[in-house]
Amino acid sequence: MKIPPQARRQAKQLLRLCMVNGALDDNRIRTLVRDFLTRQPRGFLQVLVHFKRLVQLEFDRRLARIDSAVPLPPSLQAAFQAHLTRQYGPGLQFRFTRNPALLGGVRVQVGSDVFDGTIHAHLEELRESF
Amino acid sequence: MNTILQEIEAQIAGVKTSATRQNVGIVREIGDGVARIVGLSDVMMNEMIDFGQGTKGLALNLEEAEVGAIVIGDYTSIKEGREVRTTSKLLQVPVGKGLLGRVVDALGEPVDGKGPVKTDAYYPVEKIAPGIVKRRPVNQPVQTGIMAIDAMIPIGRGQRELVIGDRSTGKTTLCVDTIINQARLNRAAEEAGDSAYRPLYCIYVAVGQKRANVARIISVLEEAGAMPYTIVVTASASESATNQYLAPFAGCAMGEWFMDNGMDALIIYDDLSKHANAYRQVSLVLKRPSGREAYPGDVFYLHSRLLERSARLNEKYGNGSLTALPIIETQLGDVSAYIPTNVISITDGQIYLETDLFYQGVRPAISVGLSVSRVGSAAQVKAMKQVAGRIKLELAQFRELAAFAQFGSDLDAKTQAQIERGKRIIEVFKQPQYSPVPLEIQIAILWAVQNGFFDGVAIDKMKERQRQVAEYLVHRKSDLMSKIRREATLSDGMIAELKAALAEFAESQP
Repeated sequence: MKIPPQARRQAKQLLRLCMVNGALDDNRIRTLVRDFLTRQPRGFLQVLVHFKRLVQLEFDRRLARIDSAVPLPPSLQAAFQAHLTRQYGPGLQFRFTRNPALLGGVRVQVGSDVFDGTIHAHLEELRESF
Repeated sequence: MNTILQEIEAQIAGVKTSATRQNVGIVREIGDGVARIVGLSDVMMNEMIDFGQGTKGLALNLEEAEVGAIVIGDYTSIKEGREVRTTSKLLQVPVGKGLLGRVVDALGEPVDGKGPVKTDAYYPVEKIAPGIVKRRPVNQPVQTGIMAIDAMIPIGRGQRELVIGDRSTGKTTLCVDTIINQARLNRAAEEAGDSAYRPLYCIYVAVGQKRANVARIISVLEEAGAMPYTIVVTASASESATNQYLAPFAGCAMGEWFMDNGMDALIIYDDLSKHANAYRQVSLVLKRPSGREAYPGDVFYLHSRLLERSARLNEKYGNGSLTALPIIETQLGDVSAYIPTNVISITDGQIYLETDLFYQGVRPAISVGLSVSRVGSAAQVKAMKQVAGRIKLELAQFRELAAFAQFGSDLDAKTQAQIERGKRIIEVFKQPQYSPVPLEIQIAILWAVQNGFFDGVAIDKMKERQRQVAEYLVHRKSDLMSKIRREATLSDGMIAELKAALAEFAESQP
């Protein structure tokens, strides 16, 4: 679907309205989308499609994914959460996943930032250097 | 066996074991050598990005939610969803004397099968042009070996002189002649142990050319012994538009190394019309807004930032120079098209080659009326100024009179003489390809024409007589010729000697 500039601008305004203390507020998003669908202003579908994309990007930006070869104990998970909140500010969503392919170590991704200390990554680096 | 083990140990020791911060993104869309990437929040404009498996890219469009990047090299292996990393590095190419005699691609990788390039210096492909403080006026000549150019449209070291004309008018040949002449001069200075001579290294950048043409040019340069002083950068028509877009910048970086290290270099961009087309293609695929003739709005800046990097640096910054000879191909002689007018306004003059002249047998087909060098006689040696000062004016007068004379045959003696002189000047400037003329011979021949030594020669015998005079001077009057070359001026004594030599030659003729 081609999104006209007007719809892009409107979607951005909606996103700004959904922010509370620098983080997206789920209730505001729900209310806004419901209101938009009821009123159905001109080009509402394009605005909502682009709005969905912006929300997705914002969620990805605030999502902290912590992958490890073995499940992390709760104390370590809490330590990760505290450390990442200190670095990236409040409002982060945390997702801990187990990935045996990593062999060992932890891979942390917050938005576009990646801290990869896994054995798999080191082996890849070694393979590329050869 | 021990060495292999040591190599493995060294590689393992080089690998970092701690976790470092990296900025990553995901390929959302890929096609035509251009990728659209989600993420890469820290990427910088023109930063090199890593697609993995040895494939690199260049970030060109930084948008609100996406990054548009061009893929350098093979993009067919990149799939949607591939992870991409920033590198915090600008795109770099190898530079240095190790590249002389080599044929490389837009990334400086050798394509001539002669093994890896021996150099450890790298320069960024995009660089800000030297500022005003670093520069000095252009006043040293580039001897092209083409009489018409050296006499009437002199090129100086650090100048940007456009070579413009329709297809098949001899634009590339003109530039190849210039390269061959530099090699001849460099070699002569090396053999004579002349430490005062500043060798001029050449870089030939082929953009969007047929591979057969590039191979032919390389073989011409090899035959003429010019390759040891030349670097060939090639992004042929079969390569991606991104490589064609990058090649002139890569060649320029290689030339800048010579300039920054106090040496002189000459770069030929063959040609910038195809370069603009490649940039248009990249821009359209990146979905940048298009303007006139579908070129992006910054196509002027594309060429101005490239050509501004050619300069003559002052003594404090090493006295090096980078001279540029960009080539533009016109369509049916239309110099008022978009790209030609852009590049004409950027450069310090142009050499305009005309199709009509070419087919009339005037080769090189330089249109004296439309060609100009804004540096002028500042880039000529004194002896050339002495003999060529009036040539352009005489030729212009000849053109006017010749047009007038077409309508009537009754002309006074003075007008007849002017027309005859003009015809002889045109004959003198005709020159076969790949045979540049040494400066001292150019000076002697032009002096002879100006002083009526060729007036008695029939027009159709002019070239033969010119060749005989040149041979006579080279073999019989080599002392006088080397004196002119060395002193670069025509003193009264030298003029008398030259007059005597030409009279002696005239007597020896039946």
